[in-house]
Amino acid sequence: MRTSLFTAGAVAIAAALTLAGPAQAAEPNAQLSVLHGVPELTVDVWVNGERTLDDFAPGTLAGPLALPAGDYELAITAADAADASAPVIGPVKVTLAASGNYTAVANLDAAGKPTANFFTNDVAQIGPGKGKLTVRHTAAAPAVDVLAGGSPVISGLANAKEKTLTLDPATVSAAVAAAGTTAPVIGPADVAVAEGTHTIVYAWGSLADKNLKLAVQNIEGLHSAPAGVPGGRSGAAAGSETAGDPAAMVGLGAAGLLLLAGGIVLTRRQLAPRRIR
Amino acid sequence: MPTPPHGSRPGRRPGTRAPYPRRAAVRLAAAVAAAALLASSCAVPPDPTPPAQAAARGNDSGLDQPAGAVREGGATPAAASAPARSIPPVRPAAPAPSRSTPPVRPAAPPAVAPRDPGPRLLTVAGTTIRMRIVEVGVSPDGAMQIPDPFEEAGWYRFGPAPGAAAGAAVLAAHVDTTSESAPFSQLKTLPPGTLVTVERYGAPPVRFRVVRVELMAKDAFDGAAVFRRGGPHELKLVTCGGRWLDEQQNYGDNVIVTALPA
Repeated sequence: MRTSLFTAGAVAIAAALTLAGPAQAAEPNAQLSVLHGVPELTVDVWVNGERTLDDFAPGTLAGPLALPAGDYELAITAADAADASAPVIGPVKVTLAASGNYTAVANLDAAGKPTANFFTNDVAQIGPGKGKLTVRHTAAAPAVDVLAGGSPVISGLANAKEKTLTLDPATVSAAVAAAGTTAPVIGPADVAVAEGTHTIVYAWGSLADKNLKLAVQNIEGLHSAPAGVPGGRSGAAAGSETAGDPAAMVGLGAAGLLLLAGGIVLTRRQLAPRRIR
Repeated sequence: MPTPPHGSRPGRRPGTRAPYPRRAAVRLAAAVAAAALLASSCAVPPDPTPPAQAAARGNDSGLDQPAGAVREGGATPAAASAPARSIPPVRPAAPAPSRSTPPVRPAAPPAVAPRDPGPRLLTVAGTTIRMRIVEVGVSPDGAMQIPDPFEEAGWYRFGPAPGAAAGAAVLAAHVDTTSESAPFSQLKTLPPGTLVTVERYGAPPVRFRVVRVELMAKDAFDGAAVFRRGGPHELKLVTCGGRWLDEQQNYGDNVIVTALPA
């Protein structure tokens, strides 16, 4: 079919020119956040032997820090350490990919020993009108269930594990309970799940020491646009356009079929370059 | 792309392409033909992927970029180290001492941020458009919701509100009822400079002036542009237009009015 071939050609040209747009910048940086989830321990955080976070307090989140892709060594020392030679956690080696988004967490393992966990954050676009919620278990506690409005939405989440849900935007009354139970050990607390935002909730602290808490990290700007705007119902408004617009009359006339084919050929050349942004 | 040329001609009204009448006719013909060739639908919007990809392109690296702007499809929910990757030989000796200390904040659940005042009434000078505004979101099929009553306009509540500091506020309504034209059928003939007023809940009205009216083919719907979240503030009034495609029970285009703060 001649006309569709021309149409396809225009699409291909426009697509090629769009892709050829601005020159690619250098390799994009990785983004690294650091969460402190060890109760009652103020620390310094070292990246490749350099003190990056000074007097970093429990329950605080630092970053994101933009770092070139590569391998890094993270170490956590007492707050007054002169260097990173005697870490209380680590050192741990991590690999940051270009454009990657990561959170390093200093936390307690299930048995209550300080450790570090390194999570890759999902920064893919979220479908239109949706938000994403991830729960990460970084507390000295057995496996847990996460309850929303009293009902379990995540079951059997163990230390150092995570689970992600895609949800309609809402404020969720979230609580954490021992797996298989509904009596909260944390919360309930209001957690906002916003459209286009990936909300990451950390359970941290120690069940034995009764200092379990929630920490929240938000990654915004992951929204995507609706797929269209369906504003028509019956075609009743099309008639008036035809009557009011002589140009439309030509296009709509049954005898204009030849013109249609020709029109595409004629306009394609003018059209395609102008579509480029 | 077989998009009608109207979209890329700011300030020109669909019905009055006076300087080039013949070319306009031919272009319109092309648009109509293109619309007929490609299966798009008012009721069933095109595949949601292209706008998503388009939006994904618009980012890059940089210290000041929000974390979320980073393009990253992997999304591995693993608590392990990232997959190995060949490392550039030059490794920074440190995270650049010149770099300021990263922001540190309490990680307790944050309070919900206050919203901009919502819109409640839309009036367009020189027309019969005087419509109640209701908040809408996204249909299960991924398209923007449109209020059922023809005399109501929907505000896309996930995007900026009229009067916001940045981005495009989108109001949309049906162009017709089951039997006749609806108020938004007047959008396509709005002259540049037309005053658009949006009354708001708990805030003074905001006024806009029309700068252009475009037709955008539904099969080439540029969601990232229409629903832009950043950049200069503007108001978009959106409905359906172009030719009614009987087989698809749908119009071929969207009519998009862009208005800037007056």
